[in-house]
Amino acid sequence: MDISKEIIDNKLTVKVSGRLDTTTAPELEASLSEALDGVEALTLDFTDLEYISSAGLRVLLATQKRMNGQGSMRLVGVCDVVMEVLELTGFSSILTIE
Amino acid sequence: MNEIKGELNNNQVTLFLSGHIDSGNAASVEQEVQQIITEDAKTLPVLIDAQDLQYISSAGLRIILRLRKTNANIHIINASPEVYEILDMTGFTQMMQIDKAYRVVSVEGCEVIGQGANGTIYRIDRDNVVKVYNNANALEEIQHEREVARLALVLGIPTAISYDVVRVGDSYGSVFELLDAKSFSKILATQPERMDWCVEEYVDMLKKIHRTLVPKGDLPDIKETALGWARFMQDHLPQEYGQKLLSLVEAVPQDDHMIHGDYHTKNLELTGDEVLLIDMDTLAVGHPVFELASMYNAFIGFSEYDNNTIKEFQGFDLETSKTFWNKVLCAYLNTHDEETIRSIEDKARIVGYTRMIRRSIRRQGLETEDGRAEIKLWTDKLLELLDRTDSLYFDRNGITVEAKVSNLHKIMDFVEGRLQKTSCPMNVIMQINVAVEEIFTNVSSYAYAPGTGNVTVGVYTEDDNSEITIKIIDSGQPYNPLTKEDPDITLPAEDRQIGGLGIYLVKQVMDEVKYEYKEGCNVLELKKYLNEN
Repeated sequence: MDISKEIIDNKLTVKVSGRLDTTTAPELEASLSEALDGVEALTLDFTDLEYISSAGLRVLLATQKRMNGQGSMRLVGVCDVVMEVLELTGFSSILTIE
Repeated sequence: MNEIKGELNNNQVTLFLSGHIDSGNAASVEQEVQQIITEDAKTLPVLIDAQDLQYISSAGLRIILRLRKTNANIHIINASPEVYEILDMTGFTQMMQIDKAYRVVSVEGCEVIGQGANGTIYRIDRDNVVKVYNNANALEEIQHEREVARLALVLGIPTAISYDVVRVGDSYGSVFELLDAKSFSKILATQPERMDWCVEEYVDMLKKIHRTLVPKGDLPDIKETALGWARFMQDHLPQEYGQKLLSLVEAVPQDDHMIHGDYHTKNLELTGDEVLLIDMDTLAVGHPVFELASMYNAFIGFSEYDNNTIKEFQGFDLETSKTFWNKVLCAYLNTHDEETIRSIEDKARIVGYTRMIRRSIRRQGLETEDGRAEIKLWTDKLLELLDRTDSLYFDRNGITVEAKVSNLHKIMDFVEGRLQKTSCPMNVIMQINVAVEEIFTNVSSYAYAPGTGNVTVGVYTEDDNSEITIKIIDSGQPYNPLTKEDPDITLPAEDRQIGGLGIYLVKQVMDEVKYEYKEGCNVLELKKYLNEN
């Protein structure tokens, strides 16, 4: 998994590529938690995300909960395979997916 | 009287018939018979040797019918094709045992195309080969091999079936049609660029054999034979090693799938574009570890003491042989993981060395310097392997790793590798990955806590790719993950628990999820059907 971040004012875009699984999710979690201070609009760019498991979903849920208190969060570029997992778990209705 | 001679011994009458027997001489032949078969010889079995008989008319046949009234047990041997035809047309073949004369075939100057445990295969002309048996009295072996070859063919294994039995020198041979055949040994020796193709075909055939379920009792069980080898070794190994060897073989689970028993590259033939298995007399049922053992011996084991053995036997050198063997193991075991491959090879080597040491000792190996040296070499290796091996069992459809999250990629690589070889669509591969990851992570985190242990993940596909079954097995604390309550996925983000989604996701992406606690193990079975929708 690769993570790249771009911040403009209080808008943060995080691009996640590769696999978001049990072994990589803690890295994303750590990376987000240090970057979210003062962020009001978070965009997670999943264009190159190939795979997500429940460990990844946990990070998404925790991040969504945090952003609910300080601004907004959206997912962009979600591929079919990842979308299917989001739908099966009801995440598609609690996250903003564009 | 030239047409008949007779003798009486060992409570059996033997009559030698020759020339033509017809209405012209039948009466005198019958008189002769009556003189040979005296009062005391009546009721004795009669063997009629028809080797020199060229023709027999109905007048001659009536003599045999009348003889049958006093001597009911008549056996005719060496009937020429012409005489056999007469006997067959007149129904005699149904009344008594009649054996055809064996055609005589010479193999002088013929090319040796194969070499089996109990015979040598020669090409006698463009379309035919003959397998000449080492044992001079091989008729029973020939019969056995014909029967198992027929069984294999019926069960779907492409093999050549013998159509004639012939005399070759002092021994017997089985004749097969084998058009334009070339053994895999010859291909490897002369066309090294075809190595990968050979590996693929060779492994496909091996998998096919090992997938073939054999009706109970139709073939011998190799484990019984292997137990015999292990018992033999008790006198030749330090006691505790002998005991360990025996208990390792005893612990190999019963397996009713076919194994060839002598699966090396001389026994696989390419004819046209068809690949045929030959030399079927070692066919058995049992766990594949016994097959890999004899393969290891053929490709490496036998050449460990004298590196030239392989060249003499297969026609290619030890380097080629090692490369081939390693590629075959990789493909057969569906993995490139060196650790997994070597650990399964070690299991096979234990059985392999046992077999070679026993063979060498039985061939008076202990009485020659070379023999003692090879026995010592193999024995040292065997003892070293026994020290670090606890089971001969493996499952080529599975991978076993220590249950820790950092091994996840090994599991995922294995599962994905297996699934990519099927017609499984990409999104289904992902779904299965998600499910396997969830279970594997659970087992890694909780099953053995605070200690550690192993987890095995197996991927099983049907021949028609209609379904995929995944089995995840651990021997940690009994725990049925399916009893976990499903999360409410309709709640808004604020009210949803972080976590608890894993098992729910598994149930969502798979079509069937079953848990059982069996023989001290948690066994979770996940199924996905592919042909629906």
